[in-house]
Amino acid sequence: MPKTGFLFSIPYLFLTACFFVIPLLLVIWFGFMPPKTFSLWQLPTFTNYSFIFSQAYIKSLGWSFLLAICTVILLLLICYPLAFAMAKVFKSSATFLTYAIAASLFIPENIRLFGWVIGLMKNGIIGGTLKLFGFQTDSLLYNIPVILLGMCYVYLPFMLFPLVLGIKMIPDQVREAAFDLGASPWQVFSKIDLPLSMPGITIGSVLVFVLSIGAIAEAKILGGQAIVVIAADIETEFTYGQNWPLGSALSTLLLLATLSLVFFVLAKINLAKILGKSEH
Amino acid sequence: MAFAYLPQENSIVMRNKTPKISRRNFLKTAALASAAIAAPTFLHRAWASSREKELNILCWEGYNTENVLGPFRKAFKGATVRAESATDDPTMINKLRAGETRVWDLINVNQCWARDQMFPEGLIKPLNKEKFMPYIQKMMHWFYNDKMGVNPFALGPNGELLGMMQRFGPFSFVVNTKKISRQTAEDQGFPMFLDPSLKNRYGILAYDNWNVMHLCITAGINPFTKLTEEQFATYSDVCKRIFAGAKLITADLVQMNQALVNGEIDCYFTGGTYTASPARFEGFKEVLGISPKSGPINGKGAMQWFEITSLVNNPNLSPLAEEFLLFVQKPEICKAVAFAEGTYNPVSQMSNPEVFKLFSKDELDAIQWDTLEEEMNRSVDYQICPDNDRLTAIYNEAKRTRSS
Repeated sequence: MPKTGFLFSIPYLFLTACFFVIPLLLVIWFGFMPPKTFSLWQLPTFTNYSFIFSQAYIKSLGWSFLLAICTVILLLLICYPLAFAMAKVFKSSATFLTYAIAASLFIPENIRLFGWVIGLMKNGIIGGTLKLFGFQTDSLLYNIPVILLGMCYVYLPFMLFPLVLGIKMIPDQVREAAFDLGASPWQVFSKIDLPLSMPGITIGSVLVFVLSIGAIAEAKILGGQAIVVIAADIETEFTYGQNWPLGSALSTLLLLATLSLVFFVLAKINLAKILGKSEH
Repeated sequence: MAFAYLPQENSIVMRNKTPKISRRNFLKTAALASAAIAAPTFLHRAWASSREKELNILCWEGYNTENVLGPFRKAFKGATVRAESATDDPTMINKLRAGETRVWDLINVNQCWARDQMFPEGLIKPLNKEKFMPYIQKMMHWFYNDKMGVNPFALGPNGELLGMMQRFGPFSFVVNTKKISRQTAEDQGFPMFLDPSLKNRYGILAYDNWNVMHLCITAGINPFTKLTEEQFATYSDVCKRIFAGAKLITADLVQMNQALVNGEIDCYFTGGTYTASPARFEGFKEVLGISPKSGPINGKGAMQWFEITSLVNNPNLSPLAEEFLLFVQKPEICKAVAFAEGTYNPVSQMSNPEVFKLFSKDELDAIQWDTLEEEMNRSVDYQICPDNDRLTAIYNEAKRTRSS
């Protein structure tokens, strides 16, 4: 007789299969359909994959990975001190800060990025202000650093909030005991804070990485397509290119590459251990 | 025994026998059968009648604005009108290909798609010629004249009328006349962008399915003929040079105009009245759409577009679809379509004095009315290139590798 838990999970399993697994399988299957066709019922072919490897798509994929990795590293460096302050130092102001940062998520990403365009364009807010003091500057837009700036800005909350939760999990008594036993601030950070906040670091990093690898607006709006990211290539194939099978094949490759990297990293990190679960 | 309490005809014994046909049984069965037969018809009628006051439009921006839809809703009280806009033709057509012909009633795309793709694929259906020809016969001469008849892009292989023409305009490139004079731009044409002095001084408006044609023109190639390997090589070289020299690439015309006005770039590849008009209407008269005087397409080197709005081949087409096409022929609605939000464009009905008088001097200036005739005459129609797939692949590869 099936367990009650299993019976209760059937609706969830059904919904997951219908709205997550099947669409994903359809995308993978579409990647094997002949180029420039719109039907799923044809003989499968590897044409799309051979075309991908004959072109420079690997470069777009490389840019996406590089930008995602840089975003994760930069956000870790920016967010950790802030998260620490929000979790351990600030008291009532931490709540205000949380709301203020979370509020930015209610504004569409494109609008927020256009705000940066107005600030950074030639004779914009920064350039115009400097001009008043006699400094003539060119546009600060349309380069790779500004794309990174945009990505860090957009994905900051996704790193910050898991970090805050991770750091909150560190018991104050452990830190106090370490200080009482003569540990230096660096030792407390490296031996206690960092290992114990690893769940937050891992979750924040994976979240930001996965979101960043599919980022498209930053490279388009701020970067003026100084580089082409893989998500832009996929979008092109599904729109102007009218080549859904090629777009699907690119999506499948991106999915595989992302999953491989994420699972590789997660395999290196013992998530069960850092989450405090016992190993069997 | 439990069976003892059941009516006799429900017993196991009775089920194994041939049932007797009683009057009651017959009436019951007949009623059920009639209901089963009538149900689909009834449901279909219910579905059909529910679409009498519903209209779904797939269109470029403009037709989806309150200026256009508001008066229509007022004229057809109780009508639920939904309009969705996209930023490129293929995306809209792909929706129909994906099975949304049952959803949409009207589709509004550029001239080449109706005749060359949507009609042959059975995605759209012809209009009633008798009803719409009187309107077409009054349109500007590029859309109807005695010699040509109806513009061939709006006609099917057997003379079917595939849709109504309204917005149009030249589309080649745009300059800031404070930096590059109109005369210079028109004389030099697209090869101007290969001039080393313009390196990092221009943008590329990423309307990808347009740019392949303009890049061919830049390379001195007619994009509407089959290309030789040598021409492909030339085209590839031009693509790489154009991408390498671009300061920015964006599909956002506002961002491009902004860069042009604030001096970040001197010109952009590609654009026209459609993209320049919002900036011009705001008073930046230095933003000017250019139609080169000559080029490789039978001597012409500029391009133009016009939109065709067609009836979707919806099995349950809303009767409001035709009504909408008639409605947008009214002078005040023609004006609303021309000056809808986002971009401003001439409309084919401007040959009608009742329509023309609704445009102010500033509005006419924004759409470059004074030079429209000569620009349109210099331009060729937007078409699908015979080698479009290969040209697009080379174009995308050049874009991807520009930063190397």
